[in-house]
Amino acid sequence: MKLLTIELKKILPYKTFWIVIGLYFLFLALGIIMAEYIVNAMVDDVNNRLPIPLPHAVLFNFPDIWQNLTFFASIRFVLIFPAIIVIILITNEFTNKTVRQNIVNGMSRSEFILSKLQVVLMLALVISGILMIVMLILGLVHSDSQSLSMIFTRFSFVIGFFIQMLTYLCYAFFIAFILRNTGLAIALFTLYTIIIEPVIYFFLRAPFMWENKVYTYLPVNAVIRIVEYPSIPALKKLMNFQLQEEVSLLSCSIPMIYAVVMIAIVYLTFNRRDL
Amino acid sequence: METILSIHQLSKRYGRIQAVNQLSMEVIKGQVFGILGPNGSGKTTTLGMVLDLIRPDSGSFTWFGEEPSKESRKRIGAVIETPNFFPYLSARRNLEIVAKIKDFDYSDIDRVLHTTGLHDRRNDKFKTFSFGMKQRLALASALLNKPDILILDEPTNGLDPQGIAQIRRLILQVAREGITIILASHLLDEVQKICTHVAVLSKGNLLFSGAVNEVLAVSDCIELASSDNEILKAAIEEHPAFKSVTESDGILLAVFSEEVRPGTISEYLNQRKITLSHLVERKRTLEQHFLELLKDTQP
Repeated sequence: MKLLTIELKKILPYKTFWIVIGLYFLFLALGIIMAEYIVNAMVDDVNNRLPIPLPHAVLFNFPDIWQNLTFFASIRFVLIFPAIIVIILITNEFTNKTVRQNIVNGMSRSEFILSKLQVVLMLALVISGILMIVMLILGLVHSDSQSLSMIFTRFSFVIGFFIQMLTYLCYAFFIAFILRNTGLAIALFTLYTIIIEPVIYFFLRAPFMWENKVYTYLPVNAVIRIVEYPSIPALKKLMNFQLQEEVSLLSCSIPMIYAVVMIAIVYLTFNRRDL
Repeated sequence: METILSIHQLSKRYGRIQAVNQLSMEVIKGQVFGILGPNGSGKTTTLGMVLDLIRPDSGSFTWFGEEPSKESRKRIGAVIETPNFFPYLSARRNLEIVAKIKDFDYSDIDRVLHTTGLHDRRNDKFKTFSFGMKQRLALASALLNKPDILILDEPTNGLDPQGIAQIRRLILQVAREGITIILASHLLDEVQKICTHVAVLSKGNLLFSGAVNEVLAVSDCIELASSDNEILKAAIEEHPAFKSVTESDGILLAVFSEEVRPGTISEYLNQRKITLSHLVERKRTLEQHFLELLKDTQP
């Protein structure tokens, strides 16, 4: 607890932290509000040309809400915000040289790494927790049936989202420790997530069509695929989405293996490098 | 005599540059130990290694007679190069983090803020501080809960004369309280004014170390003149400690291999029936001495 207390002393008065986390929840809220509107606009557009109209999408009723909101909360553009927070919090220690001061004052290098991992875990827990509460409230408001079994069907998506957050933030932790420079780390991490990996994905996918699944093992893709599709029947028909009933253990294990390897690399290099 | 820091054959190389070469030295409790050397002589690298910031290539060191660990570092107060704090946190909050890492409670924070004259500004953000104040906050954090040893790396670098005076006064005050101090500096007079012991480094090599008054305050030059300088010169050359003699403007400058008092020289020459018209002990300044020491190591 001592390490986490120290970290909270560094984080809580930090304005940038609150701005970025505020932006994350703002984008998330906007996305959620607009999602239902956009999906239904699409459905209406298609229905004009269909003899039997598709039903309107309902995003916020149990048990679909777990899957839908975790899906929207884990698309690349949204997921990047908490990762940027982690990068800033870690690289700040290098640019302010406070990491040196912490070590000199009697923190071991392993403790320093551990303190940052605790921040990652805490952020993943808090964000998943807040999202869970929001989903619970939205779901209760929008659902007719409120039986417990109905509510907690597909609750695995909340666990899946937590794993997404945790592993993706571990990637950010890794890049921050390796590059040590705020601007460079944020730029590279964003570029990789939003442009480089989708391009690699495209070139891997194209020649092999859908049979070859190599692209699903790319680090960020592996994270995204934990919650692969939203649960919107209308979209399934429109965009050929497949059904995803639960979060699979296998899909969680791939990014977790990446995360463990990255943490191990940070341990090995940070303990050897000069500060 | 309790050994605080013992360094054994410590070496560090950066590419082609041997930053520290087989360095061995000891700091004893109660000493104000100066590490003197020009920029790039390996002072900061040495301190970085004993504070676990830089990994030595070879060699070892012990703190308080034990293997170095995070626990031993908690007994050390250190100001290394630039003051490193969180810019968006107040002076007080920055010190709270330091206290927390060192397992101290916050009871000593007000005292060190008073000592360093920052108490009025304790709630102001670190980034609003002048460089002198930042340096004093670094000193305040190093002084928390009275460390067993205080390490200062160029503590007056970049400060104005007033700031330099403030910091030096603080250091002397701490030294009087009996806290052992290691002070790295490229300024001779700083070491001379503050330190009791000194190690002189050049290009990563230890030139020598010892008590300041033995090492740096040597007087082995004497100016002499008499009615017949030729006879005087011959007599001087016969002196057992004779090293060299030069003449300029009718005055001889004699250098001896060991300390020679003017009185004994006068007596020695009187025995040879030489009467002196001029006799002055010329203390070589530290500067000259220091430069000569460094010159010996040039290829």
